[in-house]
Amino acid sequence: MNKRFLIFASSIVFLAFFLFFDLVGDWGRLSGGWGNLVLFFEESLWPPNWSVLEAQSYPVCEARFEIFCSVAWLGMVETLKIAFVATIFGFLISVPLSVMAASNLSSPYLALPARVLLAGMRSLPSIIWAVLFMIIFDVGALAGIFAMTFYTVGYLGKLQFESMEGIKNAPLEAAKATGMNRFETAWLVAIPESANNLLSHVLFMFEYNVRHGSVVGLVGAGGIGLYLNTYLKLAQYDKVVALLIIIFVVVVIIDFISMALRSAVNEEGDVERPTWSSLFLPAAFTSSNHPTPIKKIDGNESE
Amino acid sequence: MNMGEELAHLHDVSIGYVEPLVHDITIEIVAGDVIAILGPSGIGKTTLLRTMAGLVRPLSGEVELGVNPRGGLGYIPQRLGLVGNLSVRSNVEMGARVRLSKWHPPFLPLPQELADEVNSCLVSLGIDHLADQPVRILSGGQQRRVATARTIAQAPKLLLADEFLGELDDDNVEIVMNAVQQVINKQNSALVMVEHHEELARQVANRIWKITDGRLVEEV
Repeated sequence: MNKRFLIFASSIVFLAFFLFFDLVGDWGRLSGGWGNLVLFFEESLWPPNWSVLEAQSYPVCEARFEIFCSVAWLGMVETLKIAFVATIFGFLISVPLSVMAASNLSSPYLALPARVLLAGMRSLPSIIWAVLFMIIFDVGALAGIFAMTFYTVGYLGKLQFESMEGIKNAPLEAAKATGMNRFETAWLVAIPESANNLLSHVLFMFEYNVRHGSVVGLVGAGGIGLYLNTYLKLAQYDKVVALLIIIFVVVVIIDFISMALRSAVNEEGDVERPTWSSLFLPAAFTSSNHPTPIKKIDGNESE
Repeated sequence: MNMGEELAHLHDVSIGYVEPLVHDITIEIVAGDVIAILGPSGIGKTTLLRTMAGLVRPLSGEVELGVNPRGGLGYIPQRLGLVGNLSVRSNVEMGARVRLSKWHPPFLPLPQELADEVNSCLVSLGIDHLADQPVRILSGGQQRRVATARTIAQAPKLLLADEFLGELDDDNVEIVMNAVQQVINKQNSALVMVEHHEELARQVANRIWKITDGRLVEEV
């Protein structure tokens, strides 16, 4: 590291601290804050109220297990459904848009408007989309699906067109020289060539949508967030904590599943696929030091 | 066979990216030609091929191609241009697809007649047993044969190949050249190839072009 870089980096850190103190302003108003938090935690938050896992009194539960009629189960399942539908719809819409936005597959006259459209869809957070769609569709899952689909298109579209722009030039040149049209080039070359990244992005987006499903629900767009919002309004914070713990556990599980699936479609997937134990335990406990080499079919044709 | 049919004509063409690499190229390519372009690295051999393939604009002059813009020109780039995630068969089918109308949806399967031709291309290049393998796991030599099969399945009138015989052993050079020669005979087409191995090039080519001091000279 040279001296100039150190001076530059320290100036940035100094600026950050300066802005922090500037933003805080009066430190006196922070006195007693920690005590307030402890009091709030002891009086209202803890212990979590696990009645959210019990069947609701109405409608009458006809499921085999009580938990299937609980607020936590119904809310979480709806959040997962919304996230899944929004991810798939978002993917289906974003693929053609990302082909149009990729500069190596499309003309600048098409790429620019496609990029502006994707940027527009991405610039509004899903919670704002949810508010807009609630005006159209009223409170419920439909507003959540549309909100998250719109945001997914914007976010996924950007990730995907960048992946497509990153593919090797040689297959595109071979396609162009042989006279393939743009649609054929996208369908037969660009999408298969970037398929690993596209799948990886979809899995990441699903995980993201599950996390954000609860946030979108807060404004009334369905899912577990709707229940969170209700408990917050009723000041039943012990139930809020219980739901937050459940969301955390589900997100961690999905994160692990997504990590395993993404590793399977990444380039590294050819070398060493992860095991379930490798996701939970440090590498030293699970894998050998020598990754399995890539399987090569011998060039000798004597077989 | 209509030998002598003109497939390409370059009129006073200068090639390069910013500065011209080769000046005033005036040549014609006729059916039946097997042309090898020779010269040291960086002298403009690949650029000449890319210019003929329509991937680089000539700095001056005119390139006239007497082939159908869709499927009439087959191009094997130095890096082969295969789609690594797709199977060998899918890559070869890509070549056959440009023989169909451009309105034929690419997600529909090939008509049986073309599917049979793809199979015979795989057999003639000795890669039929690898048909369902993804290309990315094949060796360099096998990938070269897949790229050749893709271009042969296209049945081009003019075939441009950039060092496609490299990394092949003698037996495989023979297999590949036999398959290419069959296309040349059947389609009445021509092959222009860039080749580093001069000895090999002289064995297979019937015309030799050399690039020296910014000029393209044909050996008589």
